[in-house]
This record gives sequence, structure tokens and C-alpha cells, in this order.
Amino acid sequence: MNDVPARVWVTRTVLVGFVVLSLQMTIATEIRVLGVVIQIVLAFAVAAGAASGPGEGAKAGFVLGLMYDLASGLPLGSTTMSMTFGGYAAGWGRQYRLEPTWWMLAALAAIGAAVGEVFVPIIRVLTGETGVFDARIAIVLPVVALSAGMLSPVLIPIARWALVIRPAEVRVADADT
Amino acid sequence: MATYSPGRRRVVIALALTSLFLLTLDLRGNQVLDGVRSGFGVVYRPINRAGEVVSAPVVRLWRSFREFDDLEEENRQLRAEIDAQRSAEISAQNAIIENQDLLALAGLESLASYGSVTGRLVGQSPSNFDQQVEIDRGALHGIRVGMAAINEAGLVGKVTSVAPQSSIIMLVTDPSYAVPVKILAAKEEVPAAATSTTVLPVADSDGTAVAANEASDEEGTEGVSETTTTVVDIIRETGVLRGQGSDRLPRVSFIASASAFGQIEVGDTVFTAGGSTSLAPPNIPLGRVLNVITRAGTAGQELEIEPTADLDRLQFVRVVLYQPASEVGQ
Repeated sequence: MNDVPARVWVTRTVLVGFVVLSLQMTIATEIRVLGVVIQIVLAFAVAAGAASGPGEGAKAGFVLGLMYDLASGLPLGSTTMSMTFGGYAAGWGRQYRLEPTWWMLAALAAIGAAVGEVFVPIIRVLTGETGVFDARIAIVLPVVALSAGMLSPVLIPIARWALVIRPAEVRVADADT
Repeated sequence: MATYSPGRRRVVIALALTSLFLLTLDLRGNQVLDGVRSGFGVVYRPINRAGEVVSAPVVRLWRSFREFDDLEEENRQLRAEIDAQRSAEISAQNAIIENQDLLALAGLESLASYGSVTGRLVGQSPSNFDQQVEIDRGALHGIRVGMAAINEAGLVGKVTSVAPQSSIIMLVTDPSYAVPVKILAAKEEVPAAATSTTVLPVADSDGTAVAANEASDEEGTEGVSETTTTVVDIIRETGVLRGQGSDRLPRVSFIASASAFGQIEVGDTVFTAGGSTSLAPPNIPLGRVLNVITRAGTAGQELEIEPTADLDRLQFVRVVLYQPASEVGQ
């Protein structure tokens, strides 16, 4: 992704972001698991991190979080920051292995989603809101993390396309030549 | 392959600081960001509409799978309730008309004095930490930030964000929601003998009558001895209702420390209090007292309120085009 012009991956991420955001606002708000809204946009941001690495995950999380805040009427920057951290966290484990298996990527996505979701109430508290931290978070975090892990096999290939990430073997071959 | 990359850390720190900067600007109110949000809404709306159309069959299938049994049972109960309420409705309608006539006669405002805009729900909050809904009416229809949203059952919430063609409404269960309310408790004291006259003294928080008929004592005495009387003692308490999140009921805490301790009971009704600074006009029904929580020391009572509006099944919402004097002045 480092060699790819920013306008290419930003355009692709925004395009995919619109679709994912639309799914978030329609299906995800209706089909709740244990009363918890599955965070598809966050799942995509952490999938981007798990697929590419911390820096790219953070950038994708930033763009997607910005779109999320703009669409949902939340204070601009609140979800942006949480998704930035989520994408970074998912990508952080990625740098320790060149080509992880699918379940490793799913686990990274789940961890990243948990980090991203836990930052939502933290940021709200920092902005002066009260009552956002309650026992319900004990249900919200596992559901959001698990759903992000389960969605990752579908979202990671899309994230690879959006962020223009080539498979490892191609990168190694390029390096050899 | 572990690689330490200070560049990556710089990226995430820069992005976090940018987010913080945007957050600060937005919370303080910034016209440029409002413009960006509005522009994004214009671009995103058709995509969201397309998403709604595509996802509608899936959503319907899910709803029918999940809610069929509940709906059948609820339907049965509602039919029974409708039968029971039919007669009550007629007398209630009569009372409403009389009440509005009296308010008009006295030159006082009622909910019927304000215009309203009805909007259809087009979305819910995508977050797990907010209780918000989106309606398809906005600034072009006269809606402004802060206006109260109601439905047939009572108060639903308030408008927190307005775009030209849509608005976002924060529900009364949201932890950030707060509104001044009054609790009305009618205590009937029926004397031993049969009744024929009704006296309505209104008690303030300290329990003293403030709007009672001056001759009520005399009439009351006469009533017991000669004509007999039903005394309906209305207790009025003012407090602030705050949302507690989706899984918990909103709570009322009292402004005055000398609340009518022990006089408010489960089942008492809660209405908006109104006032020059309250965003909601007075006398919108909000709910009933479900629990009276007595706290230790001087903390006083807290009430758990069950909202009359079913916030999980909102279809249409009416935004009352009311702005308090303090807002209009600005």
C-alpha cells in the first residue's frame, strides 16, 4: 500500500465504506444479537488492519470512522478515534507474521474490534458524557469482537482490494527481482 | 518478522490528534463541519435508500421470524385492552376538550397551541452506546435542534441534529437526555359517607395547598356533615428526568431537597414541566412511576419511570414546533 498513491486507496476505501455503512445503518441495526448492534464498519476497519498492518489499519479506521460519524450524527472524531485505534490494534499483531492463517487473522480482527469498541465509551466519558459505562459493556464487547472475527474471512479480501495490498508471495517475488 | 516502526506510531498519533481536534471543533460548534456533515448527508442519502431497498426483504424475514409469536400474543392482549379502554376514551376526550377550553379561556398555552411535523422513522442509531433514531423531516419542514419529539403515547425525545431533509432524535432513554418534569399524584380520601362534591386542592412540594379553593375547609366540613365530599389531593413535585441507557429505565431526581417524601407512589404520572428554559413544552405525558428508590442520607428519593411511549417500536414521530422563550430570544 505504501507504493500506491493515496487517492487510489482512499477512493476505494470510501466506496466500500459507503456500502458497509449502508449495511450498518439498515441490516445491522435491525438484526441484533443479544440486543447488541453488530459493528460492520468497525469489522471492516479491523479487517483492513489485520490484512495489512497497524499503519494501514489506522488509516482505514480513520477514513471509515469519519464516514460513520458524518452519517450517524455523532460528534465528529469520536468514532473516528475509536476505529483508528481498532485498526491499529488489529494490525499490530499482523506485523509479527508474514502470512498468517485465516483463523489468526480472525483472532486479530476480534481483538481489534474489542479495542475499537471499548474506546467508544472511553472517548464519550472524556467528552463529558455520563452513564455510558455500565454492565452492558460485558455483553457488547464479546458480541462485537466475535462478529468481527466471523466476518473477517469475507471482509479481509475486500479490504485487500480497497487498500491495494498484494499477497505476500507476490511481494517476495518482486523483492527478488 | 517483528519490525519496530516509529513511522507507524507517528501515523496513529497524528490520526488520533486529528480526531481529537475534529472532536473539539465539533463539540464547540463549527459551521464548516456542519456544512461538511450536511454535504455528506446529501451524498450518502441515496446510497442509504438503496441499502434500505436491498435489505428490506432480509429485515422483514428476520422480523417475522423473531416477532411472530410475540405479536400474536400482544395482539390478543391489545384487543382486550381496546375493549376496556373504549368507554374510558370517551370520557377522556370530553375532559381534554374541557381542559383545552379552560386553558384557552385563561390564556394559558397547551400542547394543542403549537404546530407539529410528523416524520417517519428511517433509521436507528448504529452505535451500541446511543439511543437515537432518524426521521425523514428536517430543517426544510421547520424542525430545529432541541425541539421535543412525541408520539400518541407521550414524549419520545428531542431533536439533536437537523439536516435539510432529516433529523436525528435522541430518545428519553439516552444517558445524555435530561428534561424537567413534574409528578402528579392524586390521592383520594373518601369520607365515610357517600359523595356529591369534588374539591381539588393542589399541594406544593412541602405539602401546603397552593391552589386550593379558599372555602374548601368550610365546604369540606359542610360536605361531611351535610352534603358529603370526595377530596382529591393533587401532589405536584418537580424534578429532572435523565436517561440511563437502553437497558435501564429513566430516573427522576428532585431539584428541591424538601420533596414530598413518601407521598409519591408507584403508578403516579409524570409530565414535562415546561418553563422558560425547558426545551419541551409543559404537560406532555412521559410515563408512570415504576419504582420509588429511597436513598440514604440527604440524597432524597429517586424515581424509576416507565415511559408511556414504546420506544422499541416507533414508526412515526411528531416533532412539536416549540421553542422556549430563552431560545426564541436568541
